[in-house]
Amino acid sequence: MITFIIRRLIGTVFLLIVVSMITFAIFFLLPRLAGQNTYQLATQYVGRNPTREAVLQVEQQLGLADPLYLQYGRFLRGIVVGAHYNSGTGSTYCPPPCFGYSFRSQQPVWPQMVSDLPVTLSLAIGASVLWLVGGVSIGVISALRRGSFFDRFSMGVALAGVSLPIFFTGLISLELFSYKWPIFPNVTYVSFTTNPLLWARNLVLPWIVLAFLYAALYARLTRAGMLETMSEDYIRTARAKGLPERTVIVKHGLRSALTPIVTIFGMDLGLLLGGAIITEVTFSLHGLGLFTVMAIQNQDLPEILGVTMLAAFFIVIANLVVDIFYAVLDPRVRY
Amino acid sequence: MRRRRTFGLAAFGAAAAIALAACSSGGSSSSTSPTSSPGTTGFNAAVTSVVNPSTTKGGTINFGNSSAPDSTDPGNTYYAYMWNFTRLYVMPLMTYKSCPGQCGLQVVPDLATGPGVVSDNGLTWTYHLQPGVKFEDGTTVTSQDVKYAVERTFDRGLFPLGPNYFSGLLGGNAAKYPGPYKDKSSKDKMGLTAVTTPDATTVVFHLAKPFADFDYVAAIPQTAPVPPSKDTGANYQLHPVSTGPYMFQSYQLNKQLTLVPNPNWKASTDPNAAQLASKITMTMNMNANDIDSRLLAGDLQVDAAGTGVQAAARSKILSSPSLKATADDPLAGFTWFAAINTTLAPLNNVHCRMAIEYAASKTNYQDAYGGPIGGAIATTVAPPNLVGYKSFDLYGATTDPGGNVAKAKSELQACGQPNGFTTGITYRSDRPKEVAAAQALQASLGQVGIKTSLHGFPTSTYDGNFAGVPKYAAQHGLGISFYGWAADWPDGYGFFYYIAAGKAISPAGNTNLAQLNDPVVNDLIGKMATTNDAATRNSYTSQIDMQIMKDAAILPGVWAKSLLYRGTSLTNVYVQSYYGMYNYAVLGVK
Repeated sequence: MITFIIRRLIGTVFLLIVVSMITFAIFFLLPRLAGQNTYQLATQYVGRNPTREAVLQVEQQLGLADPLYLQYGRFLRGIVVGAHYNSGTGSTYCPPPCFGYSFRSQQPVWPQMVSDLPVTLSLAIGASVLWLVGGVSIGVISALRRGSFFDRFSMGVALAGVSLPIFFTGLISLELFSYKWPIFPNVTYVSFTTNPLLWARNLVLPWIVLAFLYAALYARLTRAGMLETMSEDYIRTARAKGLPERTVIVKHGLRSALTPIVTIFGMDLGLLLGGAIITEVTFSLHGLGLFTVMAIQNQDLPEILGVTMLAAFFIVIANLVVDIFYAVLDPRVRY
Repeated sequence: MRRRRTFGLAAFGAAAAIALAACSSGGSSSSTSPTSSPGTTGFNAAVTSVVNPSTTKGGTINFGNSSAPDSTDPGNTYYAYMWNFTRLYVMPLMTYKSCPGQCGLQVVPDLATGPGVVSDNGLTWTYHLQPGVKFEDGTTVTSQDVKYAVERTFDRGLFPLGPNYFSGLLGGNAAKYPGPYKDKSSKDKMGLTAVTTPDATTVVFHLAKPFADFDYVAAIPQTAPVPPSKDTGANYQLHPVSTGPYMFQSYQLNKQLTLVPNPNWKASTDPNAAQLASKITMTMNMNANDIDSRLLAGDLQVDAAGTGVQAAARSKILSSPSLKATADDPLAGFTWFAAINTTLAPLNNVHCRMAIEYAASKTNYQDAYGGPIGGAIATTVAPPNLVGYKSFDLYGATTDPGGNVAKAKSELQACGQPNGFTTGITYRSDRPKEVAAAQALQASLGQVGIKTSLHGFPTSTYDGNFAGVPKYAAQHGLGISFYGWAADWPDGYGFFYYIAAGKAISPAGNTNLAQLNDPVVNDLIGKMATTNDAATRNSYTSQIDMQIMKDAAILPGVWAKSLLYRGTSLTNVYVQSYYGMYNYAVLGVK
């Protein structure tokens, strides 16, 4: 197992390098191939009516005129050993992993992402607990009571959950529970360490909205998996042995049905940790998702590159954890 | 700068008359300091008068912002709302008089004791600083601090976002001065020879050539003093040292800003601002609809951007008499227009351009911007709230708002294209209103045989890579480019230079999209720069406007309006004409 983890971690590093190369190429190389020169690129980061000298100064300050391999090398070097940036009156040190220096805000990217990370973590982890518990429970009960009113009703709700986009359910929930009936007024992020109760209260709506979508998916997935598993021969054998029904369902049925759930959960959680974009934008939560949106709107290439790398990192790590968890769920799996 | 506003012309005229009457009768003290008179209420009340006048102190004013400031550093910002907001924490040499109506277009001294004293040859402008103005730490502001503030804006690598008037206007070594951080010419790194400080309260600007509008330039936040010892370069945005009524308590970059009263600020030295609230916050990067909902719910008091509520809130406000009574729909100072490429055949023939002026349906253009609430049909390029503005309507925008097909065809005949021609239309694809306006124009022009192709580009690359690159426009046959403009200062020079002067045409990032290089326009703009007599200078505004319309170089669309919601809790609320939004510097809260 240890060898497997080390092997996967090394693979992760290579994967991240490939992701960084592709992302870097998309944002820095493709515009050049499309005919955009570095002067034109620099004009995006200057105010209205810039003089040629002003654009050239920005081009130099941002290092845009340097060869691409040099810019990429500088980026990688910053991740490993950090980087120094000229702030005019002195040098600002950006410690590793330094993901570059924002073209817009003239600040290192990494500290900005770090300050946004707790918001996304709080949102993703809280919502994932809700949807995992809710979705799997509903899926199991629906499968066990196939054709019942509960089954049809819950699957109907699940269908609605999958169909309704977050920006719709989010705005509706805000309108109803924040403005019309101010049960959760003034939804803003308060850190857990500042006030745990306020932290939870202000995140309830985003959690529910986000979990509603995912729980619906998980309920349907769990139901399908349970239905398939519960019709297997070994379930019949377990019952024939006289095992209690709870043991049959939980230990033999659910455990087997959970394997695909864990796979998709790893992917979903990894993706969310990279930024729950729509939820964060809808609820004005300053997490990585909102950071990403602003970076794209501002064409801030270092920020886009940084957040892409971080999202890729989360996805890869989440998948690694899932792979390890397989072995726990399914004793046949050995590494 | 950015902004907008509305009104029918008649309404504007009436409002302007009332405002001017109010200003003239009120004398110079006017409404810069709040009073306790009841004030007026109702829809648009804050356009021409102070709503909820009060001297009550305390409370928190919460601003919401759907984006983030370009910078909170006064030397590095170009957003109109930030020029408004910075008055809460800094004092530039000059500023705009805090009063409603047209009175708010007046440039008045702020840190300075009076307007700049110009030399006979027009090459030096001298400002004397008010004695006793202090920074938040209690140190006295000196002329060296003003000089340093101007100097640091020369480092365009670090401060690329603010205007660059100083490098173009100042003489001495300004053309090559690299800014104080790279300044090797003097030990104190203050080697900009074009700005001198004969004593601690006098600052002198030495110009390369006369520039009569220099007082307006001195009103840009870039002249707000920066103490050299407290300058942190690119990080100064995190805590600019205050001279205004409030100072930074905390700032999480692009997230949350909190201002608290500056104990070293004195109302007597800053009559255009007030220190009423005990705290001011700005939450950034909020969902625009969420901002509106919170405004209506009273959780927020001000939408910082000052560009008006979104469509959903707009219908709510307009359909509810009580909500509408606490809203305003002022002209924003922005003209939305389509520039017609004067160098591209067949549009290099004025009659072909006139055909476009006549054929365009102004009603459809206005509808694209949300109807009369979103903007008034523009008959001129200049918006009515420019000093020296005069109304005229050369192409029947108000008499034939749906377009005049007969006259358009007649002009096509005159330009040798009786069956029409083909050209391209560019617009910013991430601006739905502009997309709709482009589609509407395409339909209008199609009626007279002018076939157009639509080319949408993202705003971020519109000027730098596409519409603002004359070579690209020529290569791709782009004859019409949608755009919008607001003046950096409210006179003809401030409005027209970058969109109509031949000298403003640049190979990339060009904003004179019509590529107009008319000697008459150039001459008038040049005269504005050198005429010190205000009345004569202001008369050029309408002359430039008229000549551009005669050239048919620009098709005016609408004068933008913003539906602003002021709610009931704000005090001392009124629209400052120059900003086209509420005057943030004097607000209080109940």
